[in-house]
Parts: sequence; C-alpha cells; structure tokens
Amino acid sequence: MAEGKSRRPEVAGPEPAGTQSASTDKPAISPVSRRPRVGVFVCHCGINIAGVVRVPELVERAKTMPGVVVARDYQYCCSDPGQQIIRDSIKADKLDRVVVACCSPTLHEATFRKAGEEAGLNYYRTEIANIREQCAWVTKDRDEATDKAEDITRLAIARATHDESLEPVGVTVNKRALVVGAGIAGIQAALDIANAGYEVVLVEKQPSIGGHMAQLSETFPTLDCSQCILTPRTVETGRHSRIKLHTYSEVAEVSGYIGNFKVRIRQKPRYVDFDACTGCGLCMEKCPARVEADFERGMGKRRAIYRLLPQAVPNRPVIDAEACIYLQKGKCGVCAKVCPTQAIRYDDTEKFVEEEVGAIVLATGYELLDHEKMSAYGIGRVPDVIDGLAFERLLSASGPTQGEVKRPSDGRVPKKVVFVQCAGSRDREHGMPYCSKICCMYTAKQAILYKHRVHDGEATICYIDVRTPGKGFEEFYQRATDEGTTYLRGKVSKIFRQGDKVMVWASDTLAGRKVELEADLVVLASAVVASPDGVELAKRLKMQLDGHGFLTEAHPKLRPVETLTGGFFLAGCGQGPKDIPDTVAQASAAAAKVLAMFGQDKIFHAPTTAWVDEDICVGCGNCELTCAYGAVKVDLQRGVAAVNVALCEGCGACSVACPSGAMSHRNFSKKSIYEMTEEAVR
Amino acid sequence: MSKPPSVSPLVRSIEALSGQVIADCYQCGCCTAGCPIGEAMDPPPSKAIRLLQLGRAGELLDSEGIWLCASCMVCGTRCPRGVDYALIAEACRAVVLRRPVRSGRVGPETVTDEDCEEIPQQAFMASFRKFSG
Amino acid sequence: MASYAYYPGCTLYTKARELDLSARKALAVLGAELEEMPAWVCCGAIYNTADDDFAGRIGATRNIVRASALGDTLVTLCAACYNVLKRAKARIDDPANAVERERVLNFIDEPYEREVRVVHYLDVLRRDIGWDAVKAKVAKPLAGLKLASYYGCLMVRPAAVLDFDDPEDPQVMDELVRALGAEPVRFDFKTECCGGYLVVNRKDVARESSARVLENARAWGADAVITTCPLCQYNLDRLRDRDGLPVLYFTQLLGLALGLEPDELGFDNCAVDPRPMLAEKGLL
Repeated sequence: MAEGKSRRPEVAGPEPAGTQSASTDKPAISPVSRRPRVGVFVCHCGINIAGVVRVPELVERAKTMPGVVVARDYQYCCSDPGQQIIRDSIKADKLDRVVVACCSPTLHEATFRKAGEEAGLNYYRTEIANIREQCAWVTKDRDEATDKAEDITRLAIARATHDESLEPVGVTVNKRALVVGAGIAGIQAALDIANAGYEVVLVEKQPSIGGHMAQLSETFPTLDCSQCILTPRTVETGRHSRIKLHTYSEVAEVSGYIGNFKVRIRQKPRYVDFDACTGCGLCMEKCPARVEADFERGMGKRRAIYRLLPQAVPNRPVIDAEACIYLQKGKCGVCAKVCPTQAIRYDDTEKFVEEEVGAIVLATGYELLDHEKMSAYGIGRVPDVIDGLAFERLLSASGPTQGEVKRPSDGRVPKKVVFVQCAGSRDREHGMPYCSKICCMYTAKQAILYKHRVHDGEATICYIDVRTPGKGFEEFYQRATDEGTTYLRGKVSKIFRQGDKVMVWASDTLAGRKVELEADLVVLASAVVASPDGVELAKRLKMQLDGHGFLTEAHPKLRPVETLTGGFFLAGCGQGPKDIPDTVAQASAAAAKVLAMFGQDKIFHAPTTAWVDEDICVGCGNCELTCAYGAVKVDLQRGVAAVNVALCEGCGACSVACPSGAMSHRNFSKKSIYEMTEEAVR
Repeated sequence: MSKPPSVSPLVRSIEALSGQVIADCYQCGCCTAGCPIGEAMDPPPSKAIRLLQLGRAGELLDSEGIWLCASCMVCGTRCPRGVDYALIAEACRAVVLRRPVRSGRVGPETVTDEDCEEIPQQAFMASFRKFSG
Repeated sequence: MASYAYYPGCTLYTKARELDLSARKALAVLGAELEEMPAWVCCGAIYNTADDDFAGRIGATRNIVRASALGDTLVTLCAACYNVLKRAKARIDDPANAVERERVLNFIDEPYEREVRVVHYLDVLRRDIGWDAVKAKVAKPLAGLKLASYYGCLMVRPAAVLDFDDPEDPQVMDELVRALGAEPVRFDFKTECCGGYLVVNRKDVARESSARVLENARAWGADAVITTCPLCQYNLDRLRDRDGLPVLYFTQLLGLALGLEPDELGFDNCAVDPRPMLAEKGLL
C-alpha cells in the first residue's frame, strides 16, 4: 500500500486537501495530430476464457482495430510474467493506452493499472475488457463467444482512446475517530483506537456506558460474570486521556466526507452538573419518585434521579424529567436540597457539541423484538412471561433481586421454568426470518444458572433446533442437559395464564405429540433486532441497511467491517446478531481499519468523478437532487453546480439527470459513451 | 426462489388443491402445539405434513387425523412459515371424497333425532360439507 | 335512521333467533336499522377451501352479488356467515382467481358491483356508531358484571382476509363491554376453537375444546361469556353439565344495557339461565 503510494506522482492540479473543493477544470483536449497508440493484451485465464473464446483469432482481429499498434495474448496476464509483458510493451511500442481483455475489473483492474503505471503509463489509461464473466462464462458456442469477445474488446478500445491522464485526489485525514454506541463493541473499538495513540469521541445515548452487556448475569460458555469482565473496560474507557465521552447524547448530524467529518452531537438535558457532582448518591436515596427502570426490563424500579447501575461510568446520575415531581409539578426539590455540592440544575436544557473526526465506527447495537409482534405468547399481558434480558436481570447479582430468581407477579421462587426459543426468530410471518444466533447458547446458560440458584427447580427448553457452532458451545449445551434441563423439540404455539400458573402449549415433535406444560415462569428468547435508534441514525446518514435494519457491510466476506460509504466502519450487533466474542473481534477489526487509515497522512480518492462544465451549467439543481452522496451542490452565488470530488463516488447519476449536458464524468465522457455505442451497433 | 416440485403426483395434487407449498414447512411443530384437537388428532398436523414431505401421501389419506380438523385455522395463523394445515387437510379429504366409492364420514343417516332438534343447522351444513362427498 | 342491508343467515332464523331479535332491537335504540336483504340463500355455513371447488363457493358468492345491488355495505351477525361471505368476496375479487371469477359470475348471471363491503354488526357499532354514542344510550349500565369476550375462530381467521381485529387478542367486544359499563376480563381463549362442527360426529372432542374455553374464562373471574356465533354459543352452553358460566350473545347484554325489556332478549334460550346471575348483580 505504502509502496504503491510512493510510486504515485505528486498530486497536481486541484488539491482539495480535505476541503470542500469544486472540480471545474476541463479535461485537457489531446492534440488532434497525435494518434492514439493502443496495446491490447488478451488473457487466456487458463481455460476459463481460452476454453470458449478463440484467443489467437481475437488477437488477430484486435490488430486491425483503429489505434491498435500491438495485440498479444498470454496464459495468465495477472501473473508476474504476464504483467511484465505489458510493461515491456508499453516501453517498446510507445503505448499511450492499454486494454486488457480478461476477467472483471473488480478483480484485476487495479493490478493492470499499477503494472502500466510502473512502465510510465498514467494509472487511468488502462481499461479492462471483461471477456470472462460477461462472455466466456455465459456463452457456450465458440463462434458466438469469439464474436462477442471481439465486440467487448473493441468497445474497450474506443473508451481507452478517450482516456485522459488523471491524478488521484488526495485528502488529508483528521486522525480522530467517532464511535457511536458504547456497548462492548463501541468500548472495544474506542479503546483499541485510543491505545494506538489517536483521539476518540465516544457517544452513548444512555446515561452510562456498557450497553446490554452491563445487564447480563454470567456469560456463556465459561460462566464468567459479565460485570466482572466488563467493568475493567468501562473504567479504562472512562479514565482514558484520549477518549472523550459524550453520554446521554446522540449524534444529530454528520457532514463532510472520509477523513474530514463534522459531527453535531445532541446532549440530552441531564439536570445534573457532572463537574460539580461527586457521585455520592444521596440524591438517589432521598428522591421520593419511583418508576419502572428500563434497565431492569420491568423487574425493578428506580428513582427519578438515577444511574443505571452501581458501577456506572460515568458515575453521575441524571434526572428523568417525566418522572421528576419537581420538573412536572414544581414542588419537591429534595435532590437539590440534599446535594452536598449543589450539582442539581433544574433549568438544564439540551446542548449541542461539535466535533471533527476523520473516521466513524457505528456500534449502534440491538434490542429485542417488540412484544406486540408475539401476541400469542402473552408477553406484556401475562406478568410471568418475560424476555431473556429480563431474566438476566433476575439472575444478576447486581439486579433488582440480588440474583435470587423471583417471579414478577408475586415474588415467589418459580419451581418450574419454561424457556421458549425462537420467540420471533426464524418466523417470517410474525417476526424475523433470520436466526438470532445467540439464543440457543444464552437459553442453555439461563437454564444452567436457574438450576444453580433453585436446586429443586425444573427447567424445560422448547426449541426448534439447537445450534452450537462456537468454541466450547456444544459442550456447554451438553452440560445443560447433563445438569438436568429437559429439551423439548417443538415450537411453542401459545402461552397463557391459568390461575397462578402459566400454561405453555408446546409439542414434542420427536414423539409426534402435543404437550401442555405448566410453568411458574416463562422466559422468551425474543428475536434480536437492530436497535431502532441505530436504524433511524443510519437512515439519516444514508447508510445502507438490509431488509431488517441491520447495517450492510461492504462485502459479506472480504470487507466485513467496512461500509460502502468511505470512512464509516461497523462493529457489533448493529450489523447483525452476534455474541460477545464475535462482537469484540469485529470491534477490534473495525479499529484496525480505522488505524490503517490513520497510518496515512493522505488518503487517495479515484479522480474518475463527475465534473461540471460551468459554461453550460444553468444551476437547475437536478444533479444535487439526484446525488446519493451529497457530493454535488449548486453554488447559489455563482449559479452553477459544484462537485466535491472527495465525496463523489463517480456513479454517473448526475450526468444522466443533467438536462443541459453540463455534467459529465471523467474518463467516461459523453463522447466516449457515444463512440462505444457506435462501435457496439456497427 | 422457486420450490422444487414434490415427487409424488398425489402430493402435487394436494398442493394444488390446498394452495400450500409442502416444502415450506420446516417441522417446528407449532401447528401441533396449538391444535385444539391436537391430542386426539392422529397424525397431528406437523407429522401429517412430514408424511407429505416424504411422499407418503397414501398413509395420510388413510389416516383418521384429516377427519378431525375443525378448520379453526389456528395452525396456519401461528405458523412461522405461512403453511396452513387446515387447507391441506381439506385437500386430503377432497381427494378421498372424490374417489369413486363414497367415503363420507357423516350424513343425515348418522345424525340422531335428538341432535337434529338441538344442534344449530350451521353445524350440520359445515360438517356435511367438510366430511361427506 | 341509518339503514343497513342485512344478511341474517339460516341459523338466526331458527335456533339462534334471540341473536337476530336482540341485535335488531338494540340497533333500533342506537338509531339504525337492519333491513334484511331480499332473496338471500344459505352462505354454506363453512368456507370451502379446495382450490377447484368453485361450486362450493357459489352460494356465498350469489349473496355477495345480490347484496352489491343494494348498496355499499352488507351487515352480518352470525360469525360463520361473516367469515364465509367475506372470504367468498375476497376470493372472487382476487385477480389471481380470474378463471373462477368469470365462471362463477357467469353462472350466477346477475350484475356485480365490487365496491360492496361485508362487515360485521360489531363493525357498525365500532366504526359507524362509535362507542361514545353507544355509551350515551346506555340506560342500565352493566356495573359489576365481568365478561369474557369469546370470538372463536370464525371472526378472526384467516387474519389476512378477514382483517377484523388482532387474531390472538381481539379488542372490539372488550371495547363494547366497557361502553356498556361492564368490565372485560383478561381472557386467553378469546380465539381458541370450541370444536365447531365436530359436535356432529365427535362430541367428545368438541366437549373437551369447549370445556377448556370455559375453564379459562372462569379462572379469570368472568361472570359470563359473550359470543357472536350460534355454534360457539351452543357448544359452550350445551356440551357440559347444566351449571356454571352463562354463555350469551353479546347483543342480549347490549339490549339489556340499552334498556330493553329482559323478556324481549331471549334469555330463556340459554341452557344455563343467565337471569339468576343478572338478578344477583341487580341488573334484572
């Protein structure tokens, strides 16, 4: 990478240097007198191409095409000797453009362009004729394939004939990162980036960091305490000199482009001065207002002035305005009276903070599927039907019952617990069609922990399939059965209340019969869904989402933590359901990608972007409306459109939308398209 | 994606009559779990669909289970894959009832005078239409 | 006075007369009337689902076609009629069934206007009259009465076609119960099957299904169960020992609350007489 960059000539011409820059210079017009000198290199790709296309014949035909001074073939052009042939020919035959007829440009365009560059040919003067994916692989007849390959090659030559020498656009990188979401994914990414020496801005919507992991009791498959392994990370994050924490805050707006983002962060009113507050907790003891604590998932209450948990980072309370008696009725004021440092600020308002960063990691996390989607499971109607996170709070030593399993309706210790897997997962009709991935393991864990707490308790797990593809996972599942959990294969149809019991209509498909279970408590492994707040943010940022609201990676296998928008990276369940080890691994991977970017002083952007002919442009703004990247804006003072080359992805939509023909695309001009079309219909 | 056609012609005709795709079922058993007649029905819905998946339609057509469906449609309403066994059972009964030899389960001759007086005629209409040829 | 084309169906003319009578009288108090559509035929009592069974759907379709000449709304009261007519209409309107549509409509040979809608009496209360207007007409609030609303299968399934209410936890009758001053009980068997027509040849099975529904209603503390289906009413009310929870048509209690005379409401048709319970609550 570094080597490639050093070989590149110094950036000439318009130098955006990370600022909003309109690219208005017209491409130079080649002297008419100089005839193009095109070299054509046809790759056999073993038998991939040569098995169908008659390569020698294609070479002979190419030699007669306009502008072609040399045409050759080779077994594997992408190999070192193959590239050498191209390099030698550029020098020997004084080529000023090259066409390689081979596989798709997504595979080897960069390879051949670099080879050309090494021989002194401008990087953007090498074109690919895709005669593999678009010809050899999809054509049976050899004659037809050879004719089609000839057409594709001729078109590529026509295009190459109009190629100009272009220089990549260099953009300076602001070596500060924004991480959105401070669950374990965001925390890990932030720590990795900060520990490598760069500043991180970490934004979390909750009053303290830790995300869902802070709600968990013990973690599978090792049963180590979630808090115990999480708090060292939250403490380190809170104290880190290079991590700037914005809790109880949300990203309101992001502008700019890779390397140079401006972020507007909205801090919700906290009604507590974090600098004055010492976190003594007196206010929380004395506050008379009690409400259901979201963090406890309906299993416990909190005060109006509250923190999520005793180990909160930052250890500062906030006031829930809706629950606060003073803020609602103007009477009370107990917290202000008892505060030894006068830190209460009833007149607090929302604040906006601006930050400038070069890269953004989205770690927006998950929620569990809405109860309303699971009407037949009685959750929300029957108090002793709860979801998996609520049961985590009952198991958690720092939870509302100090780890004692008590059911919500009457506080009794449940003697029979039924766990229902796939509550909304793998259900395209009522929930989500996908597998939520973590439920098999956490349900096994919850059954094990339940039996550790309630020795004479019966645990039954209703499942469709048990999936254990992870290190130590299958053994852990076996442990659950060894320790006496009953697994019953069949999806639950209905859950309802009968007296003080919860009835579960299940089936035992292995025995082929219907089963009615009587339980004291039912725990649903509700489907994992993308956090609604994360989805809303992603939509505002024009990030690509899949049909279920999960962030889409740039490539499902080879670019799993990058997005299609430059400078944005992914970590954690916002991208798809995953467990803690996978989340941490992905967060570190995202951090590595950010660090790779920060390792360069400039990042280079392809110059094959849109450009505006200002003499023609009337500033109608169609281009601005069409652009998906926010790269085109009409300069209202001058009345013409301006392209920000750092943001432009070169998709061409604006040049199609332009009614006057002022908008064009470098090295894909209207003239070259016209001539390619001429060649195609000849 | 198009589904591979079922092997057995009998299964294919049951699919056509019911409008249901047998291969859509992933055998979770939710239909059996929620069936109000589930304890008595043999085979229960999920097992019946399994027989069709295996091309063993004959076994299902000879079974008692298809004659016990009350068409309450709770199975299809809760099915995570959108398969409605009530429609499949009706298709199976149609195949049997259309055989040359009459094979209906109910008819005026099977009803007692007392029931005739008492039960709403809605039930007789429904029962005869579901269970007789 | 608003007037609705009304499809009573066979059972409401005979064994479920009290459902028809109480519904008409109650609606009159609310300022609307049901006008029985002329020349209606039996809906078929159950919807035939076999794809090629065109003939099995002709009766229901004929009613739809005839109703379409009368106006834009056809009101039903019996849950089975509602279910069958609404599904038959959806079937005939679905472009995927063009062949059936053409053949059946040709056979019926009467003009058909697609705009006609099949609605249930409860839709009229909920959408056209509104709970506030019902409340305003309540002369005798059913205070202290705890009611389990039982919908059975036919009002809610298949959900996509009927689109009546939540198929697992419908609310419309609960809303009515509240408007009448009574208390709806939470009840988990609102849409579980009573056994339906299995009563004809498998009473044992139907009895078990019905018993479960009543058991759950009782467990939630209901004083009575209300329904809109003659077969549900029959199975719940008759397939058991003659004691326990009364099972009534919702229209009977609607009539009572609106001030109609108890004698007009057909309480004597129930196997378990609701009158002692109602008297005990001070409602008679």
